[in-house]
Amino acid sequence: MRIRLTLGLTDRPGALLKALEKIAMNGGNIISIIHNREQLAGGYVPVSLSVEFPSSEHFERAKAGIEESGIPVLGTESLERRIETVIIIGSLSVDMLEKVFEGRGEIISLEFGGGSRSPHIRVMFSVSSEDRQAVLEALEELAEKNNCVLVSEEA
Amino acid sequence: MIRCGIVGYGFLGKRLASYLTRYKARGLALTILANSKGYLYSPTGFDSDSLPADIISHSGFRASNPVEVIGRGLVDLLVVLTPTNVYSGEPGLTYVREALKSGVDVVTADKGPLVVAFKELTSLAGSMGVSLCYEATVGGGIPIFSLARHSLRGDRILSIKGILNGTTNYILSRMHFEGLPLDLALQEAQMMGLAERDPSLDLEGIDSACKVVILANALLDLNKRLEDVKVKGITQVTSDAILAAKELGMTIKLVGSIEGGKLSVAPRLVRLNHPLCVHGSLNAIQFKLEILGDLTLIGRGAGESTLSALLSDIEWILAQKEASKGGR
Ligand SMILES: NC(=O)c1ccc[n+]([C@@H]2O[C@H](COP(=O)([O-])OP(=O)(O)OC[C@H]3O[C@@H](n4cnc5c(N)ncnc54)[C@H](OP(=O)(O)O)[C@@H]3O)[C@@H](O)[C@H]2O)c1
Repeated sequence: MRIRLTLGLTDRPGALLKALEKIAMNGGNIISIIHNREQLAGGYVPVSLSVEFPSSEHFERAKAGIEESGIPVLGTESLERRIETVIIIGSLSVDMLEKVFEGRGEIISLEFGGGSRSPHIRVMFSVSSEDRQAVLEALEELAEKNNCVLVSEEA
Repeated sequence: MIRCGIVGYGFLGKRLASYLTRYKARGLALTILANSKGYLYSPTGFDSDSLPADIISHSGFRASNPVEVIGRGLVDLLVVLTPTNVYSGEPGLTYVREALKSGVDVVTADKGPLVVAFKELTSLAGSMGVSLCYEATVGGGIPIFSLARHSLRGDRILSIKGILNGTTNYILSRMHFEGLPLDLALQEAQMMGLAERDPSLDLEGIDSACKVVILANALLDLNKRLEDVKVKGITQVTSDAILAAKELGMTIKLVGSIEGGKLSVAPRLVRLNHPLCVHGSLNAIQFKLEILGDLTLIGRGAGESTLSALLSDIEWILAQKEASKGGR
């Protein structure tokens, strides 16, 4: 499972290392680290880590370990990806669709059907639960602009 | 004796009248039958053998505006079964409003008045101490409002979703199972009497949107109007697109939903094993409840079955009147 952890680090060196150690000890695999030096929250420098953990128990243990070592965990959020399908009735270019997923999600397959008289596109994609809503809204906007209908999946 | 009037003596009106003639022994007399041209009055109540097939050609027919039966104090309970106009609410709105103002209980199958003036009418009923019942306006005979108000009142409804229009569901089902194009499926629905000659309100999702508005206002205590619903109908749905859904174990359904205060109607991909995935002219409605979780009701959303809802409303009003008599 992929998790984004936001930690409050003091500007002292070594604090981040301590956190990374707890994550590694619990099987976590760091995907990315974002330092945000400007954003001082209560004297802390927030640092966002995307981490792949083998299970939620591993994540919970890592989180507890980080907190025990005196580093506050300011936020956690699941970056679980889900695979979803939409059918867009009408016609759109591949470029337009690819743009929607730029930086958030991935197109798994694009299938064009219905011929030129009643065209549709079936799009299968993966997206984090965090970006899902935004991606669906962007798809809907794109569909509307091009006189298409977005048919999305009912949960 | 409770004197009951029916305004709108058409498909539902005639069928309801024949049920109500059996209520005399229970203290309810059917005294007024009205249509767009006027009304027929029977002070002692119609019986099954005195019930006319056509009221206009009856000798006692009074060719004047039926609203006057309220002013003249001829009814205690009015059943409004007039044709729906979801933009003006009329002619039903005037009947409902005037009846409530005069302390007459109301049962309606006409959505129009509720879509246009839900809050006004429910507060009017509240302040006059009378009932306004509308079980038949959503999902035909399926008990939605009574179930929610009685059996679910200890729980909290978080969201509501449903297949609320039998005509479009029939069309989409035929497209799914037979691969028919939309226009042929529509013609078939019209031939079977499932679709109006002008089916645009159904196809464009407006009928479903009206039902979403009533559900939101009645069950989630929102104050929404038709303009607040984001509506997309099925006119652009193709049988090829449905086939593309079918290949993945899904189909396309017109789903009305109320979630997080947002109201919408749109064609959606629904898994074939999803509880909402009902076929033909069936309706389905799914509540998400805080304690109970998901609850889905499936049933016939129009036609004769609607009488079940109308009679349930009438029974409720009779019980209320009985209770208040006992309390006095
Ligand atoms: N049928 C169903 O399955 C069903 C299910 C749920 C809800 N509903 C709703 O229930 C209502 C009645 O449906 P229905 O199928 O019975 O309709 P219907 O067969 O068309 O009957 C409508 C009746 O209303 C009368 N009417 C029209 N204007 C009137 C006015 N100004 N004052 C008094 N009466 C007037 C008509 O009289 P004239 O003949 O003189 O025009 C007719 O008798 C509609 O709002 C419908 O949407 C119907």
